[in-house]
Amino acid sequence: MTGMILFWRNGPMAVNDANKMTVPPVLGVPSKGRLMDTTTELLRKAGLELVRTGHSRGYRGVLRGLDAAPELEVAFLSASEIARHLQEGRIAAGITGEDLLRETIPEVDAVAKTRLPLGFGHADVVVAVPECWLDVARMADLEEVAAEYHARHGRLMRVATKYLRLTRHFFTEHGVTAFRTVRSAGATEGAPAAGLAELIVDITSTGSTLRANHLKVLDDGVILRSEATLALRNDAAEHVVMTELAERLATVL
Amino acid sequence: MTATPDISAPILQLFAHEGFTPVNPPIMQPADVFLEKSGEAIRARTYLFADPDGVEELCLRPDLTVPTCRWHLAHAQDPAAEAKYCYLGPVFRYDGPRDDALHPHEFPQAGLEWFGAQDASAADAQVLALAVRAVRAAGLEDFTITIGDVGLVRALLQDIDMPPRWRARLLRRFRRPAAFHTTLNELTGRNGPRERTSISPLIDALAKQPDMSRAMALVEEELDRRGLELVGGRSIEEIAARLLEKAQNRAAEPLPQEKAELIESLLAVSGPLKPAIVHIGRLTEAAGPHLKAAWEAFAARAENIARLLPDEVMSMTFDAGFGRTFDYYTGFVFQLEVDIRGERQPVGGGGRYDDMLASLGGPSVPALGLALHLPRLSAAITAQEEEGAA
Repeated sequence: MTGMILFWRNGPMAVNDANKMTVPPVLGVPSKGRLMDTTTELLRKAGLELVRTGHSRGYRGVLRGLDAAPELEVAFLSASEIARHLQEGRIAAGITGEDLLRETIPEVDAVAKTRLPLGFGHADVVVAVPECWLDVARMADLEEVAAEYHARHGRLMRVATKYLRLTRHFFTEHGVTAFRTVRSAGATEGAPAAGLAELIVDITSTGSTLRANHLKVLDDGVILRSEATLALRNDAAEHVVMTELAERLATVL
Repeated sequence: MTATPDISAPILQLFAHEGFTPVNPPIMQPADVFLEKSGEAIRARTYLFADPDGVEELCLRPDLTVPTCRWHLAHAQDPAAEAKYCYLGPVFRYDGPRDDALHPHEFPQAGLEWFGAQDASAADAQVLALAVRAVRAAGLEDFTITIGDVGLVRALLQDIDMPPRWRARLLRRFRRPAAFHTTLNELTGRNGPRERTSISPLIDALAKQPDMSRAMALVEEELDRRGLELVGGRSIEEIAARLLEKAQNRAAEPLPQEKAELIESLLAVSGPLKPAIVHIGRLTEAAGPHLKAAWEAFAARAENIARLLPDEVMSMTFDAGFGRTFDYYTGFVFQLEVDIRGERQPVGGGGRYDDMLASLGGPSVPALGLALHLPRLSAAITAQEEEGAA
């Protein structure tokens, strides 16, 4: 993908000036797991066929069945890469989690305002604290506890998360200032028990992993309700291929 | 475009002439200190990164006040003794994707910090006067001055009888006007009865016998019953003590409505300096000794300002709510503003931050300072010359 300029397989894509896209007309699709399977299934329902091209495990493909374009170029990427590629303008559209879009792109509306929730991959980004903190129910408690913790122990409370931006923003909004974030790549829910952090911000769909780790979500600790989303870059959203893609998906939701 | 003259030279000369020693603290600073001390405006704009080994979180200094304090604590022979420093150097503030002349991400700041000044109201006025002289020395003619005093509301809160936990909460939220207002309403009960939360049943249980031994027993029972291990770095005592406070506060009388109104009317005082002094003087009658002392200091400072800046004092604006959202100030705050092509821009500001050195592990020493945004000051001078020529 890097640095390449991509064209429609069948000739140049631009039919007229109004439909010109300045970004490569490529759709980013999750490359593995349930997110990919559900996406493939949803596209099929909309009468669109996702085909891998070249090498069977390659990361390139096409989407067939749109009236506006016989074949739309597809890049199979990890869900977080899709958000980053969208931000950088390396793809015009992508299917990924709303959480990753918001975490990766500072002002997501300025980049990709058109976002169609696809009704699967539901999960919440939440603030979770040890269940043994019996005196903590809300962010207002956390504000107080964090300040006390800093005064008493001389160091800042640590929040383990992969959502550094969402965490900073949400905490600041609630006046929690006495904390620092600790980047966590995986198994974030184990960080408090391992002594690596005092609390976490993580994604959860049923809450069972949190409960198994004796963590509880704060009453007002839901930062974001996320689901799989089709996001169109603003500079591509009006393009006939992209509007058709969004419309076709919307009819089968 | 004409070449910008070096406006930093006359400014630094002035500072040196007034007895401030130039210092050059490190650009890279530990992030913790800034994240803890700074207001949200600076926090969201600070460049953060980790050491290659991922252990220490660092930042590019968003200003030179904290670095100068740290430098002072590390190098001064006696950190409790009076010290005067000035500086010129780059600071780093992210200001969204735009990175233009008025909102550069990296820009030179000139300023000074003064530790251990004896006469607070005189020093406050002197630092404001130095800021005015500095921008004049650089060539700026037209600007406006806004001053405030975040110490007044702090003092009033000390005068009003309420559980210490409430006062601490109001003080913490003082810098966030909307949250402060909401909290005031909660404490007076203006928002109706307090909302129930997931821990309310436990507080109900403790409220029947609100003492520490009962709180400890209750926490221990609850942890046992639910098979919870103690993780997260807080002891059973900490958790129990805070639960107990919650149970006790539940029985506390709500904050009287007229006290909340007094706080709000103090915050609303705004306008020319002289009437503001009279206005706040009247409010002290309904308060106590803390606000009275803070008002006396405020009036003494105003007198000093009038003496040092007889022309400027007439057009100066006092705003009791001004400076709330600024970083770490504890008392006097000020800002110099200009109009650049129709847009209002602060070119400099400063104030008093008496808590800072102690909170960094040093002695409790009063401190104040000022800083100037040099590119904006330059732009203002250029705009003023263009207007003069036109």
